Amino acid sequence: MDPLAGMDDSSTDDDTSSQTTEDDPQVPENQVSQPPIPVVPPPVAVPAPGPTQREKPHYALRHTLRGHTMSISAVKFSPDGKLLASCGAEKMVKIWSPETGEFLRNLNGHTQGLSDISWSSDSVYLASASDDTTIRIWDVETGLTHKVLKGHTKWVFCLNYNQASNLLVSGGCDGDVRIWNTAKGKCIRTLHAHMDYVTAVHFNRDASLIVSCALDGLIRIWNTSNGQCLKTIAEGHDAICQHVQFSPNSKYILSTAHDSTIRLWDYQTTRCLKIYKGHVNTKYCISACFSVTGGKWIVAGSEDHKTYIWDLQTREIVQILEGHTDIVVAVATHPQQNMIATGSIDSDLAIRIWVDPIPRT
Amino acid sequence: MNESLINPFTLSHPTAVQTSLFAGALFAKFDPTGRFIASGRLNGSAEIWDLETRAPIRWLDGHVKAITSIDWSRNSRYLLTSSKDWNVIIWDLSSTYDPPQRQKSLRFDVPVVSASFHPKNSQIVLVLLATGEAYVCDSRKQHRTRTELLEPLPDEVEEDEENAGHGTQRAGMTVARFDPSGKNIFVGTDNGYLLVFNTRTKIMIGRHKISGAGIMKGFDFTRSGRRLVTNSSDRTLRQFILPTYPSLPVDADLHNPPSFLDVELEPTHRFNDPINRTAWHAMCYSPDGDWLAGGAADPAGHKIYIWDISNDGAFASALDGGREPLTYLHWHPSRSSFASTTNQGSILIWHCPNPERWGAFAGGFEEVDENVEYEEREDEFDIEDEAVQFERKMKAEEEEVDIDTVVTGTQAAVVSKGTHSGNMGGAATPIGTGNGHTMDLDKLGSGMDEIIDIETSWAEEEPDLDIPGGWKMKVIMESSEDY
Repeated sequence: MDPLAGMDDSSTDDDTSSQTTEDDPQVPENQVSQPPIPVVPPPVAVPAPGPTQREKPHYALRHTLRGHTMSISAVKFSPDGKLLASCGAEKMVKIWSPETGEFLRNLNGHTQGLSDISWSSDSVYLASASDDTTIRIWDVETGLTHKVLKGHTKWVFCLNYNQASNLLVSGGCDGDVRIWNTAKGKCIRTLHAHMDYVTAVHFNRDASLIVSCALDGLIRIWNTSNGQCLKTIAEGHDAICQHVQFSPNSKYILSTAHDSTIRLWDYQTTRCLKIYKGHVNTKYCISACFSVTGGKWIVAGSEDHKTYIWDLQTREIVQILEGHTDIVVAVATHPQQNMIATGSIDSDLAIRIWVDPIPRT
Repeated sequence: MNESLINPFTLSHPTAVQTSLFAGALFAKFDPTGRFIASGRLNGSAEIWDLETRAPIRWLDGHVKAITSIDWSRNSRYLLTSSKDWNVIIWDLSSTYDPPQRQKSLRFDVPVVSASFHPKNSQIVLVLLATGEAYVCDSRKQHRTRTELLEPLPDEVEEDEENAGHGTQRAGMTVARFDPSGKNIFVGTDNGYLLVFNTRTKIMIGRHKISGAGIMKGFDFTRSGRRLVTNSSDRTLRQFILPTYPSLPVDADLHNPPSFLDVELEPTHRFNDPINRTAWHAMCYSPDGDWLAGGAADPAGHKIYIWDISNDGAFASALDGGREPLTYLHWHPSRSSFASTTNQGSILIWHCPNPERWGAFAGGFEEVDENVEYEEREDEFDIEDEAVQFERKMKAEEEEVDIDTVVTGTQAAVVSKGTHSGNMGGAATPIGTGNGHTMDLDKLGSGMDEIIDIETSWAEEEPDLDIPGGWKMKVIMESSEDY
């Protein structure tokens, strides 16, 4: 049987897809035929006649927050939207007011630089991950450390609260993922998750799953209650993934990788549903965010000093925010308003707050 | 949705102990969301454990004598504890103070044997006292009453029952429970009768003799309310299919009650321990009603018997929980798990152990049970034009993706209604509250619940504040001494 013999053009569209990657997607038969050049297609849901434009965001710089003296590694809005926290190679967490742009206070206590922070759902507590191998839980109002979580053997790189805020998940540069009981400050479980630095960990909505990614190029999904690995998603050879998170409804995973692509995965079927390109990301761990307060966007920083905003569905770049003078490593979106915070490193130690004044649709 | 990732093969009943909580408990009950477990202690305090962190998070101190029963309101916001110290206390768990605030106290003049919330409104409470009397206490402003449930005696009007001449004595009530819809109250007596009262009017609408039963000790209903299992002093568990009671007219009056259904009920199945004739401390249906678990009152060990109701009540297995005898058993509201309490106070959480799938560690690796002969497709090795491939990929990515909508508890139940046959208690776990109607052998019960009738609207007048998703359990951080 000569595979090259019958080279007719009859390859049908419903090929079975391979297990791992996005290269052979399953194409539904009743898809509207589109030209390969990305033009703006009229979205199916909108009934307006004629050539319709999808809405675009119009973010503009509102505040520039200066105060950091060393590189910034993460910025996060509080769930009630009133505060912005930022951390970096300086050993302190800075709390700002995003409305006015003023600096509120420092949270001091760590003995080495910080990599990540996470707010509890009631916006009262903040957890920070540090190179001194500890995690501190701060009471933001008073600025005092409430708990120190010890257990990691190397630098703690990433962490996240669950929705109920009774659990904290953290990833370390020793490849371990640890789950902590926040009320007592004790480690409940340690997962030997990866062979290299764990760069991101995230809970899903009901905290039954944890997604983790590491510099060994794997994305793994874990069952929280018994610590078993449920699935592994491996991207291509050069696409070392450095940030993952669940979508707001926890059905999809957004991952950013070092081949300058951002992918949206359906983890149930291990299919890559969307790919976002156009930015530059080959070295640094840059986070990406969902923006759902106005239109549905994906926001990510880039190594070309800009912040890119893509339309979630069409994957087009709808806005590019310029203003930073160095790599934009940290991005965060406000939970209720159309506001984005971006943080940069080294030569540009500013946090910029961008606001889209157009009201929510 | 997550269950399909976690449980590819769902065994429907637990088989092994997952963890043991040293709680000093007399008994322990899951809450309706399945996240917490509440335990009652001998010294009168109640504890709430968080199952995700496996640590106690609330301590409710209010009673001075042993706790006799605990009940959760339907969205877990309120907890009710009854005690031998003559009181029933209702706690509000959404309070941000520690210790939690008491919502209400109900005082009686004898020890309280059991108390429970109305399934639709936590302001209506059913209380059973040690003297064999049952009361319905309604604390809503418009309906503020405390009514005793009385079995009407033959040839008498209510007011004459005090007359010394009549020899007929009312039987003492030993068990009292709301049915899952809250429309009726089922009461067991010490002479083997099952009495049914209408909740709204407190009129007795049914009386059933259960022959051979002796003293009634406990009830459990399936979620649809169509089946009832009783535990009695003759050491036999009996399952009944409940008759449909005629609905009462709106103006039905306690003093001129319509006639009640007075038939003997025949059980569909009898469950007992044929070898040792052990009595039962507790029994519980699984959430889908397909399994019945019975905790044996075996003084030498911790034994739980499981029967398969969907397989005509056949005995399925006997689980051994160690050397500490069992005192109580409660099935998890949505998972294949139960909690059994030992007489040393430990709470054993049982689960279906999932063997670790090592294939999950490799990306794209699919485990199969048998060898699969791979058949090549016709175009398996066709060389495709790069542009065509790219075009196809771009086309596929045009599909809309919804990252926002969350399938909540009630919607998930609707989804599961469609897949009736495959639903064995593990699939379609709702996110959030566990309020979905689950499958039962006959669907009549769930169908009836859709009709808003006088009974339900009476219960839902002046609703309580127990709204699904309307409250949060605050994480109270333990104060640290070192900083």
